[in-house]
Amino acid sequence: MKATRTGMLWGAALAVFAVAAISVSGQGLPITFERLLNSDKELGNWLMYSRTYNGWRFSPLDQINTENVSRLKVKWLFQGRHAEKFETTPLVVDGVMYLTRPENDIYALDAETGRTLWTYSHRNPPATFNCCGRVNRGLAILGDRLFMNTLDMHVIAVDAKSGRELWKTKIFDYTEAGGYASPGAPLIVKDKLIVGMAGGEKGVSGFLDAYDTETGKRLWRFHTIPQPGDANFGTWAGDSWKTGGSSTWNNGSYDPELNLVYWGTSNPWPGYRGDERTGDNLYSCSVIALDADTGELKWHFQFTPHDLHDWDATQIPVLVDREFEGRQRKLILWPNRNGFYYVLDRTNGEFLLAKAYVKQTWAEGIDDKGRPIEIAGHEPTQDGITHVWPGVDGASNWMSHSYSPITQLLYVFAREERRIFTKTGPPRLPATDPDVEEDEDATRRRTFRRSRPPRFAPEESWGKVIGIEPSTGSVRWEYPVVSPPWGGVMSTAGNLVFGGTLEGNIFALDAETGDPLWRFLSNDRVYASPISFLSRGKQHVSLAAGDVLLTFSLDGE
Amino acid sequence: MNTLLKIACSVALTASLWGQIQPKVEGHESPADVARRAVEGERATASAPQNNPFESEQDIQKGDVLFQTHCSNCHGTFGAGGRGADLTTGLYRFGGSDAELYRTIRNGIPGSEMGPPQVNDDDLWRLAAFVKRLGLAPPEDAPGDAAEGKVVYLTAGCGSCHSINGQGGTLGPDLSDVGRRRGLAFLEESLLKPEADLPTNHRGTRLLTSAGETIAGIRLNEDDYSIQIRDTSGNPRSFLKHELKGIQRDDPSLMPAYGSLLSEKQIEDLTAYLATLKGMQ
Repeated sequence: MKATRTGMLWGAALAVFAVAAISVSGQGLPITFERLLNSDKELGNWLMYSRTYNGWRFSPLDQINTENVSRLKVKWLFQGRHAEKFETTPLVVDGVMYLTRPENDIYALDAETGRTLWTYSHRNPPATFNCCGRVNRGLAILGDRLFMNTLDMHVIAVDAKSGRELWKTKIFDYTEAGGYASPGAPLIVKDKLIVGMAGGEKGVSGFLDAYDTETGKRLWRFHTIPQPGDANFGTWAGDSWKTGGSSTWNNGSYDPELNLVYWGTSNPWPGYRGDERTGDNLYSCSVIALDADTGELKWHFQFTPHDLHDWDATQIPVLVDREFEGRQRKLILWPNRNGFYYVLDRTNGEFLLAKAYVKQTWAEGIDDKGRPIEIAGHEPTQDGITHVWPGVDGASNWMSHSYSPITQLLYVFAREERRIFTKTGPPRLPATDPDVEEDEDATRRRTFRRSRPPRFAPEESWGKVIGIEPSTGSVRWEYPVVSPPWGGVMSTAGNLVFGGTLEGNIFALDAETGDPLWRFLSNDRVYASPISFLSRGKQHVSLAAGDVLLTFSLDGE
Repeated sequence: MNTLLKIACSVALTASLWGQIQPKVEGHESPADVARRAVEGERATASAPQNNPFESEQDIQKGDVLFQTHCSNCHGTFGAGGRGADLTTGLYRFGGSDAELYRTIRNGIPGSEMGPPQVNDDDLWRLAAFVKRLGLAPPEDAPGDAAEGKVVYLTAGCGSCHSINGQGGTLGPDLSDVGRRRGLAFLEESLLKPEADLPTNHRGTRLLTSAGETIAGIRLNEDDYSIQIRDTSGNPRSFLKHELKGIQRDDPSLMPAYGSLLSEKQIEDLTAYLATLKGMQ
C-alpha cells in the first residue's frame, strides 16, 4: 500500500512538473505589483477581479474566436455543492485557479482538470447579515498571498501555495446596526489591500478601507458619509447621516498615473423613504475617487442624489482613454443602476454625458451638471407604485460590464424591468423595543388587503446585452434575452462577448454585431461574470452557473 | 543548476507539497459539512412547536413592529413585496404552516436574497404570526349559498381544470385553500374577469407551430431557445422557439369568463362556496 502510494505521488509529481514545463500560461508566483500593473500582458493569467485595473474584463486571448467558437465544449466542472449563489470571479496564475465558494471557502484548483489542490475555510457565525445571500465574489492576490473578505467582517490573507492562514483582521463588528458584511472581492493597490463593505439595507455607516498586505494592519479608512468637520458634511437632515448606509460592496478600479482608486457607493438608508434624510445624502449613489496612498477624497460624483429606489452606484468603474468631443481625455464609463449611461472625466469628475440605455420613467433627462431632472410621482408610496422603470434591482447592478479595445465598444448586460416600490415606515434600528413602538399606520397595516396584487408578467421584463459606443452612449447592437440578468459579460480578442442568463444559457456573441454564435444550456442561474485563461497553452473560458463552475475549451481539449 | 538537478528538485518539492496537500484535500468541507450546517438549523427548528405559541393580537402587533424594522425594506410596509416576495397572497414557496413560516424566517432562504433577521426566538414567532396574518383573507359574510355553489362548481366544469383536495384537473390553480387566502371580491372577479389576475405559473399560452397547428396550454417554463407548456389535455410538452411561428400569451385567458355562462345567482353561490375552501387540515 505504501509503495503504491509513493508511486502515485511520484507519478503525480512528474505530471505536475510536466505541466509546468510545457506551460506557456505565464509566470507563476509571486505576483508583484508591477505585474498587476501590467496584467493586460499576462495573456494566460487572470490576476484580479476585472483582470486589469481599468475594469475592462477583457481577455487578449484569441484562440477561441468568431470562426471556431461553435467548437466550444465543456472541459470540466467544479461542483460547488453549496446552497448559495455562486458569484465568484476566479483568479488564474500559471495554470492554478483560485476561487471562493460560499460562504467563505477558498479553493485552489488545477486549471487543466478542475482537481482540487488545497482548500481553506473560514467559518462564519451561524447567522450573518448580508442583504442578498451568503455570497462572496472573489479574491485578490499579491506576492504569494491571496486575500478574501468575509461575511462576518474580516479580511484574511492565506498562502497561495498551501492555503495556510497568514493573518486575519477584523474590519468592523458585523452585528452593529442590523448587520455589516463584506461579500465583495478586495483590490490590491501597491502594498495595500482595498476592502469594501455591505449593509445599506440596514442603518450602517459606510466606509472603504486599506490594509497593509504584510501585516493586516489598517492603514486608512474613508467614510462614505461625510463626518462632522469634513467637507460636504450637512447633506443629511438631522442625525440621519449616522445611519445613512452608503456602503461599498463591490470591487473598484485604479488609475496608476493619477494614483486614484475609483469605487462606487450604495444607496442611502432607509432605501425607499427619504422623509427623515432630506438632502442630497452624499456620498451615497456616487463614484468616489480616492488617493490610493492616503484615502483622501480627490473628487466625487453623485449619480442619484437623495435616492429613493435603491439605485446603488456599485457598478465596476470602466476606465478608458479616448477622444471625447475632439479632445483626448481620461474617461470613466458608467452604465448606472438608475438607467442612465454616464461619461465622466476621471481626472476631476467633470460630467460629460448621460444617456438612457434602458426604458426609464423617473427623469426627463440629466442636466448639464449631471443632475437628474426628476419627474414628479416616482417616489415610493406605502401602497406601492408600479409605474417606475427601471425596477428595484436596477438597469445594471454589480455584475461586470466589459470594454473591448478592438471594437472600442462597452458591453453591458442590461436589465429592463418595472417592479413595485413601497415606502417603508419610519426608520427603526434593530434595538427598537417592540413594546413601546406603535405608529398611526399600524392598524391600517394589519387590516390592509389589496383587491388584487400587482402582477408583472415575465415578458414585461427582459434583459439585453448591448454594445454601447462610449463617447455618444448610442447603442450599436442589442441581443435580447427573456429575463433581466444577474451575470456579467467578458469580451475577448477573439471578437466574442461571453455571458450567461438567469435560465442558465451560457452564450458567445459576435462582439461586432451581437449575433449569437454559440450556446450551452447549463439550466441553472448565472450570477457571475466570465473569465478566460490559458492552460497548457490552450484558451479556456470559465463561468459559474448555479453551484457549478463550468470551464469550456475548443473541442473540450 | 543543471537540468537533471532541476527535475530532481522539482520532483522532490512537488512530492513534498503533494504530501502536505493530500490530507487537506481529504479534510476539506464535504457536502456532508454543508448539509450539517443546514441541519443545525433544521435540528433547532425540529424541536420547535408546530403551532405558533405567540399568536395573540398583541403578539401580532409586536410582529408588525418587528416586520417594519427587519422585513419591510424588501417585503414592503404592507408585505406587498418589492425586492422580496409578495406576502399578501397567502402562498409561500417554503410552506405556510406556523412551523414552516417560523423556519423560513429563522434560517432565511439559502440561495436567495433573504437572510435571517437579528431577533430572538419569541420574536421570530411573532414575525411568523404577522406574516400569516398578511396572507389571510379578512373574515366576510358571503351573501350566496355555499351548498348551491358547490353544485355549480360540480356541474359547470370547474373541476376539469382546477382541483380541490387532490380531486380535479391540473391546468388551473389548485383551489383547496383559496377561501383562506382570497376575499369575496377577488373570488368573484376571478369568475367574471379571469384575465384580471393570472398567476405566473398558470399563464395561458398558445403556440403556433410551423405546421400551422395551434397548441394551447399553460406555460411551465421558458428560456431564450425553448418553451415548455402543459397542453389542454394535461400533457407536458416542449418546443424549440425557432420551430414556432408565434407565441400568444394570456389573451384570451384559457378560463372562460363565467359572467355570460352562469347567472348572477350562480356566480354569487359559487363565490360563497369558494370562500369556504380553507385547505386540507
